[in-house]
Amino acid sequence: MDMKNAITRARRGLREERRLYIVAVTSLAVAFICLGATLLGVTNLDAAAARWGQSGRITLFLKDDADAQDVAQLRVVLEGLADVSEVTHVTPTQARESFLEEADVGADLSALPSEVFPASLEVALVQGVTRERSESIATRLAQFRAVSDVESYGSWFQKLDQLLWGARMLALGLALLVMFCVVAVIGNTIRLAVARRRQEIEVMKLCGATNGFVRGPFVLEGMFQGFASALLAILALLVGYLALHDSVDSTLAALTGSRVVFLGVWTLVALLVGGAVIGAIGSAVSVRRYLAV
Amino acid sequence: MQGTKVVRPFPFFRAGARASQPQLSKPILVLEDVYKFFRPDQPTLRGVDLSVERGEFAFITGPSGAGKSTLLKLVYRELRVDEGRVLFCGRDIGRLTDKSIPFLRRNLGIVFQDFRIIDHWTVFENVAVALEIVSMPQRLIRSRVAEALERVGLAGRGPEQTSNLSGGEKQRVAVARAIVPEPALILADEPTGNLDPHLAIDILTLFEEINSTGTTVLFATHDHSLISKRDHRLISIDDGRVSEAQQGLKHWQGSSGIHTLVG
Repeated sequence: MDMKNAITRARRGLREERRLYIVAVTSLAVAFICLGATLLGVTNLDAAAARWGQSGRITLFLKDDADAQDVAQLRVVLEGLADVSEVTHVTPTQARESFLEEADVGADLSALPSEVFPASLEVALVQGVTRERSESIATRLAQFRAVSDVESYGSWFQKLDQLLWGARMLALGLALLVMFCVVAVIGNTIRLAVARRRQEIEVMKLCGATNGFVRGPFVLEGMFQGFASALLAILALLVGYLALHDSVDSTLAALTGSRVVFLGVWTLVALLVGGAVIGAIGSAVSVRRYLAV
Repeated sequence: MQGTKVVRPFPFFRAGARASQPQLSKPILVLEDVYKFFRPDQPTLRGVDLSVERGEFAFITGPSGAGKSTLLKLVYRELRVDEGRVLFCGRDIGRLTDKSIPFLRRNLGIVFQDFRIIDHWTVFENVAVALEIVSMPQRLIRSRVAEALERVGLAGRGPEQTSNLSGGEKQRVAVARAIVPEPALILADEPTGNLDPHLAIDILTLFEEINSTGTTVLFATHDHSLISKRDHRLISIDDGRVSEAQQGLKHWQGSSGIHTLVG
């Protein structure tokens, strides 16, 4: 196939059928936006999970009547552990202040008394401590007399894992759906274009054009549609991301301690290349049946 | 664009190109006991034997539905023979694979009654397409197309939109497209069918001029007035069978009358 010639003819095809292709690209961009938005959700959940997984921590809630000496002794034990990087004592007053500062539940909670919030020891673990090790430390710490309850966030991680798994499955399902949409929409668009340019194909075939020569421009047109749709979707997502970034970022930082992130470079490349490849495949499949002259 | 490979699989098919003596001595087209069935009990072509020499001009005539177009379609392999052989330059067309058909067609120029030119393309684009498919450099395409347009009387009209042309001019564009790759054989399937008698003679003359440069021409028509004006070889198809006269109508030896002959 003569690539230069194919590009010239594809450009002419795109120009002649521009209305048809604009409609197709817009429809496909919507499908890509759905996929991109899901991937954005998965990326941010992943980022939050990674941050929480790396910065492992345990909270030891202290009994209301815990003896100060027992608490001090517990603190010495904790600081002696190789897995612990920092121990912070949080009083009920500090816990109340922190809660009122970070929580944004849309109601006035300033009337809550400090007694509602138990005192605690916030234990920060060193980097690289596994969840299993964290659970084991938490189990041992629970046996101390001053401790009423231990939160190692294991159940939270479990829920996060489940959420991530669900989100990944959703993304996978959407990816398959989008793939199907791209093949179907581009296939039908190209089929319409082919039907309108049937005489051209017939003339070229009668002049001795190979199937590759005839197919080339249509495949390039399909490839362009897939690529343009993915690019349009990414730009739309980026605009949305930039518009909502500030407001969402502070809330997420307060809730999970992680920042909002956009899709990674490789995800963006995969979306663009995937769009182009699927577009080319859809196009090649639909033009095949018109090649018999 | 220098160094671009021009795909020309059978260079010896080109008019004026040097070919080996055995190739030159063979007829350009031979049909041997050819049958074509569209219905099992009623063959459109039955036992057709035909030989066309290099550089010949021959009319193919017969009533509508006699099988003229079918015969030509077998040559450019839109259809495949059911029995017998069609040999083009000694090669059995019926045995060509689908991938080889484009290379056969690059050695044929085909002209149709309905012109088959693309109305939203320019005259130049319509003619150039026959050279673009063989990846010819643009510089060469421009000069070859200009030359072909000059030969058909459309010199300097390359940039014009084809939709603005008259029927006769459109057919000239189609002829230019057929001759621009310098094919060995031109198949014209009722090329004057949509034209008035005056234009029909013009187009016939154009084909004769092309033939005078060495290109073989098979001209299918059922127009009696055209056939009667020339002394070319006459191949008549009736009821799927072929009968012929070497020197036109005046030498016609067939049993059927002239009106039966041309429909």
